[in-house]
Amino acid sequence: MTARFSYAAPTRRDELLSLLADSGAGARVLAGGTDLLGDVRSGLARPATVVDVKRVDGYADLVWSATDGLIIGPAVTINDVLSSPTVREAYPLLVACAQDLASHQIRNRATVVGNVANASPCADMSPALLCLRATVVLSSLNGSREIPVTEFFTGAKRTVVAPGELIERILIPPETANARGAYRKLKRIKGHDLGIVGVAAMSKDGALRLGISSCAATPLLVEGLSAQAPADEVVAAAHAVLSPISDVRCTKEYRTHMVGVYVRRALREVA
Amino acid sequence: MRVSVTVNGHAFERDVEEHWTLLRFLRDGLGMTGSKEGCGAGECGACTVELNGKTVNSCLALAVEVDGGTIATVEGEADHGRLSEIQAAFARNHAVQCGFCTAGMVMSVRDLLRRNPKPTVEEIKDGIEGNFCRCTGYEQIVEAVLDASGQLDASSKGALKYV
Amino acid sequence: MSDDVKVPAPELNDPPGPGAPAGPSVGVDHPRVETIEKLTGDALYTGDLLLPGMLHAKVKQSPHARARILGIDTARAEALPGVHAVLTGNELDYKIGLYIVDKDILAKDVVRHFGEAVAAVAAESPEIATEAVELIDVRYEVLPPVLDPMAAFEPGAPLVHPELGSYSYVEAAFSPQPGTNVAHVQKIRKGDVEQGFAESEWVIEREYTNPSVQHVPLETHVAIVQWKAGDQVTIWSSAQSPFTVRNLFCTAMRLPLNQVRVIVPHVGGGFGGKAGIHLEPLIACLSRKAGGRPVRLQATREEEFSLLPCRSALTYRIKTGVRSDGTITAQQMTMFWDAGAYADYAVNVTRASGFSAGGPYELPNASVDAYTIYTNKPYGTAYRGFGHVEFFWGLERHMELVAQAIGMDSLEFRRRNLLKPGSVTMTGEVITQDTGDPMACLEAAATSIDYGRLTPAEAEHERLTGRRIGKGVATLHKAPAMPSFTATAAVIKMNSDGSVVLNVALMEIGQGCNTALAQIAAERLRFPMHRVKVAVERDTDKDPYDWQTVASKGLMLSGNATILACENLLEQGYAVAAQVLRANPADLDHDADGVFVKHHREHRVPWPELSIGYAFPNGNGIGGPLVGVGRYIAQGLTHLDKETGQGLPALDWTYGAHGVVVDVDPDTGEFDVLAISSVYDVGRVVNPGLVRGQCIGGMVQGLGTALCEGYIYDQQGRLLNPSFTDNKIPTSRDIPARIDSAVVQTAQIDGPFGARGVGEHPMISVAPAIGNAIQHATGAELMHMPIRHEDVWRALQSREPIDNWITETPVGSCRSDIPGGNLTAKETDTPLREEQPVMH
Repeated sequence: MTARFSYAAPTRRDELLSLLADSGAGARVLAGGTDLLGDVRSGLARPATVVDVKRVDGYADLVWSATDGLIIGPAVTINDVLSSPTVREAYPLLVACAQDLASHQIRNRATVVGNVANASPCADMSPALLCLRATVVLSSLNGSREIPVTEFFTGAKRTVVAPGELIERILIPPETANARGAYRKLKRIKGHDLGIVGVAAMSKDGALRLGISSCAATPLLVEGLSAQAPADEVVAAAHAVLSPISDVRCTKEYRTHMVGVYVRRALREVA
Repeated sequence: MRVSVTVNGHAFERDVEEHWTLLRFLRDGLGMTGSKEGCGAGECGACTVELNGKTVNSCLALAVEVDGGTIATVEGEADHGRLSEIQAAFARNHAVQCGFCTAGMVMSVRDLLRRNPKPTVEEIKDGIEGNFCRCTGYEQIVEAVLDASGQLDASSKGALKYV
Repeated sequence: MSDDVKVPAPELNDPPGPGAPAGPSVGVDHPRVETIEKLTGDALYTGDLLLPGMLHAKVKQSPHARARILGIDTARAEALPGVHAVLTGNELDYKIGLYIVDKDILAKDVVRHFGEAVAAVAAESPEIATEAVELIDVRYEVLPPVLDPMAAFEPGAPLVHPELGSYSYVEAAFSPQPGTNVAHVQKIRKGDVEQGFAESEWVIEREYTNPSVQHVPLETHVAIVQWKAGDQVTIWSSAQSPFTVRNLFCTAMRLPLNQVRVIVPHVGGGFGGKAGIHLEPLIACLSRKAGGRPVRLQATREEEFSLLPCRSALTYRIKTGVRSDGTITAQQMTMFWDAGAYADYAVNVTRASGFSAGGPYELPNASVDAYTIYTNKPYGTAYRGFGHVEFFWGLERHMELVAQAIGMDSLEFRRRNLLKPGSVTMTGEVITQDTGDPMACLEAAATSIDYGRLTPAEAEHERLTGRRIGKGVATLHKAPAMPSFTATAAVIKMNSDGSVVLNVALMEIGQGCNTALAQIAAERLRFPMHRVKVAVERDTDKDPYDWQTVASKGLMLSGNATILACENLLEQGYAVAAQVLRANPADLDHDADGVFVKHHREHRVPWPELSIGYAFPNGNGIGGPLVGVGRYIAQGLTHLDKETGQGLPALDWTYGAHGVVVDVDPDTGEFDVLAISSVYDVGRVVNPGLVRGQCIGGMVQGLGTALCEGYIYDQQGRLLNPSFTDNKIPTSRDIPARIDSAVVQTAQIDGPFGARGVGEHPMISVAPAIGNAIQHATGAELMHMPIRHEDVWRALQSREPIDNWITETPVGSCRSDIPGGNLTAKETDTPLREEQPVMH
C-alpha cells in the first residue's frame, strides 16, 4: 500500500468527534481496517487522515442487559461477538451470520459496526441486524441520533452517515433476544467468500422476519409474516422484495431461486 | 511516527510512515522476511502473524496501530534452532512444498492449537481456512496438525497406496 | 587406466519391481531437505532480497484490450524527485518470444490486451514509483477488441498481429499463418478418418469449452535485475528455468550468454507460470536506464492476474465414430486454443496437445487439427499439464457421452478402447508392456470408489440428505512436451569430510526435486542422506545446464544425470583407490565409509582421504578433487512430421485415472465431491511422501479448475475478476473428505531406478471425472468449465449456460476491484459503459 495518509488515534470521545468535524470528508474512520485498508490499497478510498477508533474509552465494549439489550461498540470485532457466551445465548442469529464472515484472521479484526458502515449489499451482519430490529447510533460534535437499521442504508455502499459523523454504537433491543435464528449464505466455494445470496430468518412470539443480502442495492427486510405461514407464502413474500442483478458471481435467476431454497431451509430451523 | 512493539520477545522502537502496513514494517522495517505478501488484501493469509494474542492478516493492519503491542511471527517459533512441535510435525508430514504459505500457516496452526488442543479434522480445516496453499492440497498439512496435537494414528495418517 | 578396466555397470537397467523392499534411500519417505529453513522463515525468496542501491519499479498497465497508443507523456513522472528511470515502448528495440518472436517489452504503438504494460518507472521507493506511474499520461485510440477465439478465427477478423509474417519463429516445429489470427496449426493424421467413420455405426460429435485460468502461485512474479557497465547483467528471479531466462534474455537483448548471470533462490510456486521469461527484460532495461542500479519489481496479486500470463482457453470439438460393440473406429479432433495476445508457450501447448489429444485410447483412424488463435486478452503460457488439463475435460466428457449414446457402461467402454501393449499411438509410437499400465490405473480407481454400485452407507446418505450420489471415472496420460534432444547435466562434488554437494539447474519449486535427487544420489553412492546436500540457490554461472523445470521430465532426466554424475565420482574415487590399495578397480567396491577391496573389506581407503586428492605417507599426492559430472539427453526421440504429425515425441508416458464420488442436490445444483481416488503408473516411487504431495496438490489444483476458477471478461475485454475477491481458489475447507492416492509401478526401463514423472498428471482429468459423476447422479450434461452449482442447476433445468468468459451481463461490483489510477480509463478515451449497481 503506497498511498499516504496521516493517522490519528484519539483516546477520548470528544477528541475523536473534534477530529472528525475538522477533517470532514478527508477523514475515514478506522476500526478493523479490513474494508478501509483494502479500499485505500485499491485506490477506491483516498483519505487524507485515518482516524482510529480502537483506543477510545469504552469503544470495545460489548454489553448486554435485560433492560437495554445488546450494545455493540465500534471496536467490537466479529470474533468478540462469536466468543461472547451472552451473545451466543441471547442472539443466535447474530452468531450465525458472524461465523461465516470471511476467515478467522479477518474476524479477529473486522468489526460489526464496520461491516454495517461499509454498507456492502453482500454484508453478512446486516440481514441479522435488520431482523433483530437494531438501531444505529450516529454521533458527531453536534450530538447523537438514532436511526433504525431499516433506514440506515440508502444504496450500495451508501448510508445516511453525514460528514463528521460516525457510528458510535449499534443497539439491539431486548425484545428480540432469545429469538430463534438461522442464516444461509451462498458462496462459490466452501472456504471464505463473500455472500452471493444471504438469507437470515428470525422467529419469535409467532412472528417471522427475514433479512436478505446480495439481492438488491441494500440489504432487505421482510416483516409482518407469521412463523406459521406456509413456506410458499414466505418464499413469495421474499421474492416480492428482491431486485437481484446478474454479475460475474451469479445470475439473477439463480439468486432468486436460491433465496427461495434458503428461505425454506431456514424456516425448517426457526419455525 | 514512533512505534514501540515487542516482536518475538524483543523490544523495538522505530520511526515508521503512517501508511505502512504491519507486514511492511516487519519485513522492511525490522528485516523479518519470514511473513510474506501473497495478495496484500487479506485473502490469502501468507502474512498471518499474531497481534496481541490474535492472528491477523498483517497486510491489513497498520504499523502505527500496533504501538505498544505484542507480536509473534514465524521467526519466533523455533527456539535457537530447535524446531517447535508444529514445525517438526510439518517437516515429518510433508506439509511444506514451496514454503511460501508456511510462515502464515504455522502461525494459524499455533493459534488453533492454543484455542483447541485436540481439534478434529473439520476443525483443523476451519482453522486454516484463511491460509491459501496452492501446492499441497492441504491434506498433509491437516495430518501435520493432527501429528503436532498427538492425534495422528494409523487411521488418520494417510499413505500412498500401492496397487 | 586401461580400457578393459571398467567401473561396475549402473543399476539403471535393473530397477526393483513393485514388491522390492525400499533401498537405503530410494523408496524411503524422507522429509524434504530444504524444509527446515522454510519452516523457520529463514528461506530467502527473490522478494526478500535487498541489494545496495536497489530501486523499486512499477508498471503502468493499459485499461483497454485493444488500442492505438497516440502518445505517452512522461514529463511529469520524470520530474518527480526520486525517479531514476521512466521507460516507454518506443525506446526499446527488442522483441521476445520463445517460439514466435512477437512481443515487445513494453507495448509499442498498440496495446493488445487489458493490463498490458505500456510504461514503467524505477524510483527510490514504492511510493514514489506508484506516484510517478500515476503521473504518466497515455492517450489511446480505443479499438474494438477481438475477444472470441472463434470470431478471431474467421477470415476478415481484425488482426491482433498484422505483422505476423515478419516475425521470426522456430520453423522446425511451428506454422504461423500470416494475414490471420492463427499463430500455429498442428496436424496429426493417422489412417483414414473418413473410412473409419464409414465403418462406424454411430457418430457422436460434441464441443467442450474451458476458460483461461491463472496459476496463482502464492509468490507472485518478482525479479531484481542489475545491468552493470560492460553489459554485465545479473538477474535474480523467481523462475523455474534459469537457463531459459538467460537464453531468451540474451537472444532478445542481443548479448553473449556469458555476460548474463541468472540466480534463483527459493521459489514460491510456479506451476508453469514461471517457466519462461517474464518481467526480467523490462526490469533490466529500467536498470540500464537508471545507470546500472539494481531494480526490483514484484507483481501485485492483481498484476499477477492481468499483467502476467495465464493459460489458454480452449474450445475442443470431438467427432467419434464407434461400433455398437464399443470399439472406436475413427476420431476427428479439432482444437481452438485461445492464446490471447501473444504466442509465448501457447503454440507449443497446441503442438503438445495435438499428439496427445486422443487420450490413452486406441484410435485406428484419427485426425487432429489444432489451432493457436490470437485474441486481445492476457496471454497463455505454460501451465501444469501443458494443455492436458484443458483438453482432457473435453475428451473424458466425450468418452462418457459416446458410451451413453451407444448404451454402454462408460467404464466398460473405456476398457474396450484403452491402450494395451501393441497399441499404436496417433504419432505411430508402439506401446509396450513397459510403457505403463493404463488399465491397472483405471481398474484400481474404479474399484476404489465401488464404481457401478452404491454401498449401503452411500444409499443411506442419499436417503438422509435427499441428494443423489454419482460416480465417475476419467483416465489421463501425458508425456513430457519438450524438444526431442532435451538434455541436462548434474555435478556432484565431494567435500573433504566425505560429504557431497549436488549441483543441478533443475529448479526446486515445491515439487520436491531436491529431495528426490538427494535420495537418488544417496542410493547410488550408498551414503546416508545427511551426507548429500543439494545446493539450494541455482546460478547459471555455477550450475550445469538444465533445459527447464517443466513437463514432468525432471526426475527422469536429472535423476539419470545424477546417477551418472555419481558413477563418474565413484569412477574417479575407484581410480585413486586402486593405486592406493594396489588393486584392480574391478576388484573394488564401496560403502558409505570408503572404497575397499571386495575380498578384503578391511583393506580400504576412507572417502575423506580420496576427496580432494590422496596424500601418501611420504607426501606424494595423486588424484585430486572428486567432481562427478553426469549428462543425460533424451534418447531416440524425433520431431513430428509437419504434415502428418508422425514421430516419436515421448520421453515417457505416465498414465493415470481418477474415480470420483459426488452428491448432488437435484433442486439446486449444489454438489460436493465426497471422494476422489487417483491412481498413476509412476514406474518406481522414490519418496512416497513426495509422490503423495504431488498427487494431492495436483488434484486440488485440478479441483480449482473444475469448480471455481476462470477468467471473466466484459465486452470491452476488461478482466472482471483480477483478484481473489472473484477469482477463487480452493481453501482447506474445499478438499474432499476422502482423498486416496495410489500408484502402479511398471518400471520405466530408462528411468532412474525405474521412476518416471508425475508432477503434472494429478491435475489432469479431475474436472471430467467430476463432470461424469454429476452426470451419473442427475443426468446433467456439463460441457463447459468451471462447474459451479449454478452451472449444474442450469444443466438440470436445461437452461442456457452462463455466458461465462466474455459476459454480456452487467459488470456489477467487480469493477470496484480494478485498482484505481492505473487501470481506469480517462475521459479522453472512449467512454465507458454506464456504472451498474454495485454489489460490494
